Amino acid sequence: MSDVTAPVAEAALRPGRWGFRLSLLLCMAGLLVLAVSVAAALVGGVGVWGNNIPHVWGFDLIAYAWWIGIANAASLFAAILVLRKHGLRTSVNRFAEAAALAAILAAAFYPILHLGRAKLFLWTFPYPAYTGVWPQFGSPLVWDFWGIMSHVIVTTLFWYIGLIPDLATMRDRAAGRGRMGLAHAYGLLALGWRGSVTHWHRHQAAYRLVAAMVLPLLLWAQTVVALEFATTLVPAWHQARLPLHVVVTGLPSGLGVVLALAAVLRLALSLERFVDDEDMDLLGRLVACAGLAAGLAYGHELLVGFLEEDPLTRAALMARVTGEGAPAYWGAVALCAALPQLLWIDALRHRAVAVVPIGLLAAAGVWLDRWSIVVDGLLRDHLPARNVGYTPSPAEWGLLGGTIALFALVLLLFGRLVPAISMFETRHEESEAEAEEEER
Amino acid sequence: MSEAHGMIAEFDEPEALTEAVRAARRAGWERIEALSPFPVPEAAEALGVSAAPVGYIAIGAGLVGAALAAGAAYYISVHLYPVNVGGRPPNAWPVFLPNTYLVAILWACAAALVGMLVLNGLPRLNHPVFFARGIQRATEDRFFLFISSEDPLYAPDAARGFLRGLGPLRVTEVRER
Repeated sequence: MSDVTAPVAEAALRPGRWGFRLSLLLCMAGLLVLAVSVAAALVGGVGVWGNNIPHVWGFDLIAYAWWIGIANAASLFAAILVLRKHGLRTSVNRFAEAAALAAILAAAFYPILHLGRAKLFLWTFPYPAYTGVWPQFGSPLVWDFWGIMSHVIVTTLFWYIGLIPDLATMRDRAAGRGRMGLAHAYGLLALGWRGSVTHWHRHQAAYRLVAAMVLPLLLWAQTVVALEFATTLVPAWHQARLPLHVVVTGLPSGLGVVLALAAVLRLALSLERFVDDEDMDLLGRLVACAGLAAGLAYGHELLVGFLEEDPLTRAALMARVTGEGAPAYWGAVALCAALPQLLWIDALRHRAVAVVPIGLLAAAGVWLDRWSIVVDGLLRDHLPARNVGYTPSPAEWGLLGGTIALFALVLLLFGRLVPAISMFETRHEESEAEAEEEER
Repeated sequence: MSEAHGMIAEFDEPEALTEAVRAARRAGWERIEALSPFPVPEAAEALGVSAAPVGYIAIGAGLVGAALAAGAAYYISVHLYPVNVGGRPPNAWPVFLPNTYLVAILWACAAALVGMLVLNGLPRLNHPVFFARGIQRATEDRFFLFISSEDPLYAPDAARGFLRGLGPLRVTEVRER
């Protein structure tokens, strides 16, 4: 038995321990909250939310942009690892892909519920309806439809292509233990993979190709969300720099979540050998770099604000930076730009106690940034009408908490049912390392 | 006694597999298959496989997807359902770009997966090599070279003799069990 395959496959095949069961139970409870919140929005309409003029987007778009940011950064990380042929170990890309997939599933709830008439979401798809009405391609709703659909499908494909050979390994492992039902299930999903060198050659080409195409897709997915803001006339949003700002400040969230997940995974599934200190170093430094990039984005925002001649745009920015919006704005700067800088300290990078909270707080910081844009961006508008302010309702908090539970549940199940790290890539790298040692 | 599907040799190193593939090509065997738990590009090269068609299929599908998406957006906005929004022309092509771009990527990625599977002859429910003893380790840590009985040169003794000469761990005849 290969000493590479065994621990990883075992993690997926052995029965769950109490820790796993407890987490599963908690997630199920969270899922119940999600179900109730979704039902409330479907039955009562978006009126059950705190949304009102001018706050038509509120919590919904905050969470949507936030989840897409997490998905993007996680996919970006996975795609970069796949495209790097040599050097650092690529074992962590598998669960980065899984995290991206789970985040998109969570994100997909929001735009559909936000429609108000969720069952009519298919009206954004161009099909010959009996009404003779066709979608308008200038509408951000239509962009959203294509954006989310492509994002979900491409991320799933990216994850699945990499998984096919490992599913074949799981099939053979399960069959070796006489668990034929499980072996048949894995076998169907493995599509008859037998490890032919010819197949491997084309498989690697397809995997890299999809990884390369994930990069422009990510840029676009977050840009489309930001474009929806930029195409409005709200002074704080109607800016050419907004897409860039949203893409760059989104990075610490996804990378931070992947970092926290990596730390939890290596402890919970005893995979320290595969997700080793070198991986944690790379991830920690990446989160710190993403924090630096986000810091530059904030610096750019302030610089552009000072150079701005339009008094209203300037007032809108000042309201966010020094006015009523200051707590969210500076909270975002502190959590997603400043806090990750701690990860430059070597001793902190290797401690789960430090990296898990830093990673998750970076993600929380990005959520504050989205609040600062979506809610506080409306503090100053063209009409000096009375701004009633925005207070999220329990249904909105339930939706946010529920999607977080959904995200955690999907990842728990991925960690249990499919190999959490890429077995074939780890095998390959260990064999290369052995060959190098022999040459010496 | 069931019919023999071919002869299979088992190796424990990727280099041994690459050498075996090269030797088999030199000896004129045509219907051979090399199995490995991870990509062995040198062996694929020795077999003369090119991965380029996967790329061509993906690029072609991406272009077709883009053309369809842009064409549909144009036809719907200009002919089927023109709407005057603030006097903008029906053919406001810049707003067609977001979904054209997304659909192109979507088609290219789907075509990369489907193209890879079709070129590989997958999915399939069974294959003769799955009858070989110990083949489960082809997805773990062992390397196999299979000579199909459909090979024009195939004769059980010749195939066994040739594979034994490569210094494998063992050589077995593949039969239905």
